[in-house]
Amino acid sequence: MWMTPQIPRVIRIQDFRGEKLGEEDSDEMVGYRQQPGKLPFSKPGSGGKNQFSEPRDESSIPESQGGSKAQPWGDHRHDEIVSGRVIGKPTALVDSRWKVTGQAQYGDDIRLPGELVGRIIRSPHHYARVLSIDASKALDLPGVLAVATGQDATSAFGVLPVTKDEHAMAQDKVRHVGDLVACVAAVDEASAREACRLIEVEYEVLDSIHDMRDGLEDSDLPIHDRGKYHIGESNVQKRVFQEFGNVEDMRDSMASHSSDWLFAGANHGFTEPHAVVAHWDPSGRLTLYTPQQVPHYLHRALADVLEVPMHQINVYRTFVGGGFGGKSDPFPHEMCAAILARKTGKPVRINFDREEVFWVNRGRHPSRIGMSIHSDSEGRISGIETDALIDGGAFASFGHVTTYYNGVLHTAPYEIGGFHYTGARVWTNKPASGAMRGHGAVNSRCAVEVGLDDICEQLNVDPIDFRLANLLPPHSSTITGFRVTSIGMRECLEKVREASGWDEKFRKMPLGRGIGVGCGFFISGSGLPIHWDPNKFPHATVHLKIDMDGGVTIHTGAADIGQGSDTVVAQSVAEVLGLPLDMIRVRSRETDTSPVDLGSYSSRVTFMNANAAISAAMEIRAELIKATSEITGAPEKKLVIGDRRIFRKDDPAVGVSYLEALHKSQEDRGALVSSGSYRTPPMGRVHKGAAAGLAPAYSFSAYVAEVEVDVETGQTKVLKVWAAHDCGKALNPLSVEGQIIGSCHMGMGQVLSEEMRYGRTGHLINPDLLDYKIPTVHEMPQVFPIIVESNDPEGPFGAKEAGEGPLLPILPAVVNAVYDATGVRVSELPISPDRLYKAIEKKCRKDGVSSPTEMKTPRISHSELQEKIVERGKSHSERDIERRRGKEPSPYHNGALFGLDPEVPGDEQDSRWTAVVTPSEEYLESPGLAGSAWKHVERRKRGDSQ
Amino acid sequence: MKMPPFQLHSPKSLEEAFSIADELSSSNREFDWVAGGTDLLPNYKWHLNVKPDVISLAGVSELTLLTDTHIGAMVRLHDLAESENTHSLVSAAAESVASTLIRRSATVGGNLCLDTRCFWFNQTEDWRESIDWCHKCDCGTDADCRVIPNQNTLCVATYQADLAPSLMCLGATIHLASKDGERSMPMGDFFQLDGMTRNVLQEGEIVTHVTLPDDVSEWHGDYQKLRQRESWDFPEAGVAVAWKKTGGDVSDLRVATTGLESIPGYHEEESRLVLDDWRGEESVDLLSESVRKSVKPVLNTWFPPSYRRKMVKVLTRRACSGLLEDSK
Repeated sequence: MWMTPQIPRVIRIQDFRGEKLGEEDSDEMVGYRQQPGKLPFSKPGSGGKNQFSEPRDESSIPESQGGSKAQPWGDHRHDEIVSGRVIGKPTALVDSRWKVTGQAQYGDDIRLPGELVGRIIRSPHHYARVLSIDASKALDLPGVLAVATGQDATSAFGVLPVTKDEHAMAQDKVRHVGDLVACVAAVDEASAREACRLIEVEYEVLDSIHDMRDGLEDSDLPIHDRGKYHIGESNVQKRVFQEFGNVEDMRDSMASHSSDWLFAGANHGFTEPHAVVAHWDPSGRLTLYTPQQVPHYLHRALADVLEVPMHQINVYRTFVGGGFGGKSDPFPHEMCAAILARKTGKPVRINFDREEVFWVNRGRHPSRIGMSIHSDSEGRISGIETDALIDGGAFASFGHVTTYYNGVLHTAPYEIGGFHYTGARVWTNKPASGAMRGHGAVNSRCAVEVGLDDICEQLNVDPIDFRLANLLPPHSSTITGFRVTSIGMRECLEKVREASGWDEKFRKMPLGRGIGVGCGFFISGSGLPIHWDPNKFPHATVHLKIDMDGGVTIHTGAADIGQGSDTVVAQSVAEVLGLPLDMIRVRSRETDTSPVDLGSYSSRVTFMNANAAISAAMEIRAELIKATSEITGAPEKKLVIGDRRIFRKDDPAVGVSYLEALHKSQEDRGALVSSGSYRTPPMGRVHKGAAAGLAPAYSFSAYVAEVEVDVETGQTKVLKVWAAHDCGKALNPLSVEGQIIGSCHMGMGQVLSEEMRYGRTGHLINPDLLDYKIPTVHEMPQVFPIIVESNDPEGPFGAKEAGEGPLLPILPAVVNAVYDATGVRVSELPISPDRLYKAIEKKCRKDGVSSPTEMKTPRISHSELQEKIVERGKSHSERDIERRRGKEPSPYHNGALFGLDPEVPGDEQDSRWTAVVTPSEEYLESPGLAGSAWKHVERRKRGDSQ
Repeated sequence: MKMPPFQLHSPKSLEEAFSIADELSSSNREFDWVAGGTDLLPNYKWHLNVKPDVISLAGVSELTLLTDTHIGAMVRLHDLAESENTHSLVSAAAESVASTLIRRSATVGGNLCLDTRCFWFNQTEDWRESIDWCHKCDCGTDADCRVIPNQNTLCVATYQADLAPSLMCLGATIHLASKDGERSMPMGDFFQLDGMTRNVLQEGEIVTHVTLPDDVSEWHGDYQKLRQRESWDFPEAGVAVAWKKTGGDVSDLRVATTGLESIPGYHEEESRLVLDDWRGEESVDLLSESVRKSVKPVLNTWFPPSYRRKMVKVLTRRACSGLLEDSK
């Protein structure tokens, strides 16, 4: 069965059946010499399925540890614990078999004995006062067990503690068509539906607001009343003003771009509609089964609304059929299920129809963005001015943050001379907007990248060279003070340029064919935990438990929403302990057993949770090494971990199996347990709003898209996308590529066809997946994912996010490609054929041609500046390589490109550079659209507050 | 969402089907016919004009014959598109319908009788309640039309099926039957201008098959379709053009459109005008322009009517491209 090995001095050799093969010098303790792959593990065995320990994969061991894995971006603090087993290798998700065999239980798959069906009575009006609710007829209907209304739960909740403006059901007003009024529980769906019909609700219809611009004005009856914090009498929910850098001089520029964008709202379009089951068990505790991205925030909200202590509630996260931000709020229907279950004493299930998904929404904000970009004669970006008015719909949701993100998330990757941002979010009588993949950054990023394309057109320079000459270096500070660590932006741009054949195609293709570039920058985890002081509690905690069987149980609250967070945490622990993935089991479903994790939003999970997991695993690792040292006598420092075996690095034959070391560690105390956590380091500046957009690391990406436009119909087809993303280190390249391709699909939907369309009467006219136009496989281009690994110093094994950032560049890349193909610069998304055709007709009139087929497409003839920026790009490239390798690079603040001292922030050394977060009276004389929100005075500052 | 309950009847022959229909009619029970179900059942899920009884034609084998000139009403669109017997103009339209999965179920008869569509109508019950219902499904409220308010006589919901224009261009005859006997008519006469009445079918009457004239193989043509996505989406506009040539000259020309009004359009006058004085590309341009002028879409589908109208011109020209190539 197995090769007879050259037997060294060995005792207790056993074959697979456990029979002794040979025995000599049985008293001598020399039984720990074994070469990987040559002898089966002796008792107590290895743990894993494979009887043989695999040799160390030197190609996965970093150079710094004597392996052969090249480290062009320098060493990493996790190099020492790399066992070369699973990290960086394409790995099928650990729960994929559950899904492909249909055994994964999603929200709607949960069935409890005796459960009731709950249904929600929703408002047919955009805005109305609820005068009365008469449920008597419904309650008389056989099979109906309970009706609940707003009076059953009067506490407010909301995902952000600063803006709790939601209730389980209407308290006095309904704020959009589909808003919750009441709910019923019945024995089956038919009875529940009939009961809904029988409930009589009397409304007083109020004047509703649908145009986000109207939200800026004073109103007789604002959609919400925030008491003394209310901004005037308007529907402005949040406003932001930021002015950094040399704003005074930025408009005095060589080239300027200015455009007014209109972005339609987009919905996440996840596969699984919301579904929830609530069950109060006989001991009086609530278990709520729900596909949630952030079980912890729901946990808190449930406690508030139900008025029971948190420890009485167990939030059970089912498999999640896609989230993308759309399942990251605590939702009123989750409260309704719990309320009905409490009233009836039976489990209650509420399943959404697709239309209800659109009504609860939380998708991308419809936005009006004014974007101005300026460049000086050196081809430097002397200023970016953004005015973003975003349509929040009826509730706050994550909108407080979104209002910041629309500005602050485009202060990088470019070094800029000035930054002027005004943002405002208004309430309107529509389904609430919220967080959606690329939260708050997507629309304004599109406007920036398209603006840069225009600037380059004006300057007659290549847009890729222009970007390469204006990048912030690694380990630098942005204009508003974000601490940026690793940056792989330059490599992303260089790689897509080469792969796409950019230099042969740009401005050279015939009418109807075009190519465009776009970049992205995104947070890898929000630096600020929403509910507590970041310096006190961790963002993520992971517990490990290992009993005598050797399998590792990971307890984590990180919510796997299909992105593979269970896999990443399993991989991280497996890597550190040198174990195969089948020895790792992840328990991440229940708040009863999982330590608190903030959840799956802001692309934080891999960065924070894997770091926490590594910390926990390192504790176990230390125990195993100590035990091995005790058994073999080898010094701890000489020991390393390989495949289920701990051995001397300099003499791999000396070592013990994982289980032997484990059992040694377990002597006297049993199962090993450990805990690891992650907290962000202190960072950023101190101005109001400084924390918004702060992250322990940032991801970067650059895409090139090639499109074909049918100029006679306005139909755009994306043919190919070269998509480079800097994720620091691809822990699982398979997942990273999947995220890149998926992001392309989702972003392409927003740029080409997806929109939440509101009709003449303010109704959402396409709340279904036939009319909400998500691209199909026919529309998908060939995507070439390119992974760039910039080795982030604080990321787990160097990793950063890959779930949201990759969505950003596809929008501007397509818009810029459409310009290259047609000469039409659009500023309204989606570029549906009818919209593009309108713009084409306009251009035909401008060009004086009768048919679109005669239109002129843009061509380029480089100016003198081109050579200059190419040179600057080259010297910056050298600077960046130097900085990324340096152990502790010197400080670099945005502004050095403009001649300032890189060691100090601009406003601390040059009087022309400012850092202001409230508007001047001068600004308010002629503010931008969103900026006009600052004309209102907060009630408490008006002197007439309550 | 659950479908409302209904009684399903599954006759095995036409005779049985008609007798069930007769029985239901005489006891004043409203019913629908169902073929592939890809149109009716989604509408039922949305509680749109639901009937207590449904008669399925799936088991009626008399309706599935497919030859060069005979297309049974229960022929699946997939089979129609794939069959060697199918005229290329018909298969072009058939294979553009929705998606493979839907074409496997959907039938010729069902496609011809497709219910008209409108974004004020094709919505859930809760949604329609929020607009106070509409004329096409007023739930007893006598509601107004939401597309063109202040008129509740005509429904302007749009006919968005693909097959009719191609069949019209090929001179197809449609055959109907009921317990009272059979009747047939040119395809164009089958449709009746109203989004609710839609066609001439009487209660208890069904489409049994479509026949094509013997000279059908001498006709050539093309079908062009406008939509947002290359799958699933109903036609926002569709143009079929068919021509016949003798000795290299265009001797006959027919144009029909869909997705623009409550019924498909047959543009006899427009094609005759250019045919009388055929001048190649110039005539095609003229034809395209006159077809554009003759259609009057309204705002009740995905694309705005002005765009759909303009595209009718482009689609007509493109559908004629084979005609011009052949002329050379």
